Amino acid sequence: MIYVTLNTVSELLCFLVGLFCLANDKQAIWKLLVVYLLFTLLVEVGGIHLRRVMHTSNVMLYNFALIMECLTVSIVFYQFYRNHKNKMAGLIIWLAVFFVCYFLELLSSGFKNFVFKTTSFMSIVFVLASMYYYYLILKDEEFRELKSYAPFWWVSGTLFFYFGSTACNVFYDYFMGDRTQLSGLVRYWIFCFLDIILYGCWSYSFICRYKQRTSRRSSF
Amino acid sequence: MQVQTENIATLIILTTIVFLIAPLFLLIFINQYNKRKRKHADEKKALHKTFQNELLKSQMEVQEQTLQRVAIDLHDNIGQLLSLTAITLSAVSINDQAGIPEKINSAEMLVKRSIKELRQLSRIIYGEELISNGLADAIRFELEWLNKSAAYTIVFNPLNYVQAENEAAKEIILFRLFQEIINNIIKHATATTIDITLQQSPENLTLSITDNGKGFDLNAALKEGKGMGLKTIHKRASLINGTAVVSSAPDKGTQIEIIIPYP
Repeated sequence: MIYVTLNTVSELLCFLVGLFCLANDKQAIWKLLVVYLLFTLLVEVGGIHLRRVMHTSNVMLYNFALIMECLTVSIVFYQFYRNHKNKMAGLIIWLAVFFVCYFLELLSSGFKNFVFKTTSFMSIVFVLASMYYYYLILKDEEFRELKSYAPFWWVSGTLFFYFGSTACNVFYDYFMGDRTQLSGLVRYWIFCFLDIILYGCWSYSFICRYKQRTSRRSSF
Repeated sequence: MQVQTENIATLIILTTIVFLIAPLFLLIFINQYNKRKRKHADEKKALHKTFQNELLKSQMEVQEQTLQRVAIDLHDNIGQLLSLTAITLSAVSINDQAGIPEKINSAEMLVKRSIKELRQLSRIIYGEELISNGLADAIRFELEWLNKSAAYTIVFNPLNYVQAENEAAKEIILFRLFQEIINNIIKHATATTIDITLQQSPENLTLSITDNGKGFDLNAALKEGKGMGLKTIHKRASLINGTAVVSSAPDKGTQIEIIIPYP
């Protein structure tokens, strides 16, 4: 039962929705999201196992997960941008900057701490990426029914999560220094709430994608 | 220490709420903007549909007018010539050997005239397709038919007109407007001269039709609701992003100028 938390349940539900809706999707990017959700779920369960069963640090597991998170979200953004603009160079430059920051922080901490500075930087970049996506949508002359537009909801979930986690990122040092129960609870519940918003939006996005795919097929 | 922790926890929670409200408002804004975009797209679609309907209507009216002219020509002209031919041939008598060549010659002439008229008629029927040869040709053919009545002195000046590609829709609507204006002149103006100018400038095409008829009080006509024809002219001109300027006064004739962006 220790593995059943709000985070793992929301991740599992989102993964199951994704599996049902996107397993037969023709675009590889959507299938990649299902794989990523499975990976996230396994990391979350693994993190709980390491900390609560094996009583060891799970920092390196989350540090590794951050690479996958950055790669997946960046590639998905790149794919969504491709409908409007194709800038491969932008993606490569961003990933290069990310890896430099990541390894520098990892080396400076002696592989012992979570790379929170890189995480904060990554969050800011993803917030900007989300806003840039909105800008492209506003600029685009073609009208889209946003209520059922899968990429829009995926980006919205991402924006809510990374923008909403800004306060927690800013106060990361405080959380690490202050080991009181209240401090831990606040961080835990904020992230639970953000996870629910994130996976809720993503699940809805997968359903939109599924509906779009099936309605297109039935119209042939 | 506990108080400080509680304060910071409250601060973090409030900051997080603010950071969640901000994207929420952003989403609302985007949604509103998108709704406006949809409204604009719907309006554009409706406008396109109206344009297509008006184009179809114009094509049908051009066709209808062409068929009317064919019917009139068949009845009044070719029909009469053939009747005369029949009468001439029936008057041929074997007993009157001397008169036979003259009557046969007359009948032959009548048949030749009928053939000529039929050829002209076929050109009128083909007139609907004339737009494919350009607006100036279509107007010229229309005026040829009008000239037959010899009731008007007609002057047509195509100035710098060069047919543009992919502008057939505009041309058919403009041609239909021309027909409509000419019909109005025939029906109401009691004019004796009609001047038509088709002038191409770098960005616009201007069709100007002037008659010396009885004219009318423009404002009064519009107030009394008699200006349905005028409204149609304005409406159709605006559909092709053009403008129609009508100038008229009692006993001063009428001038209608239609300016459309072209090509």
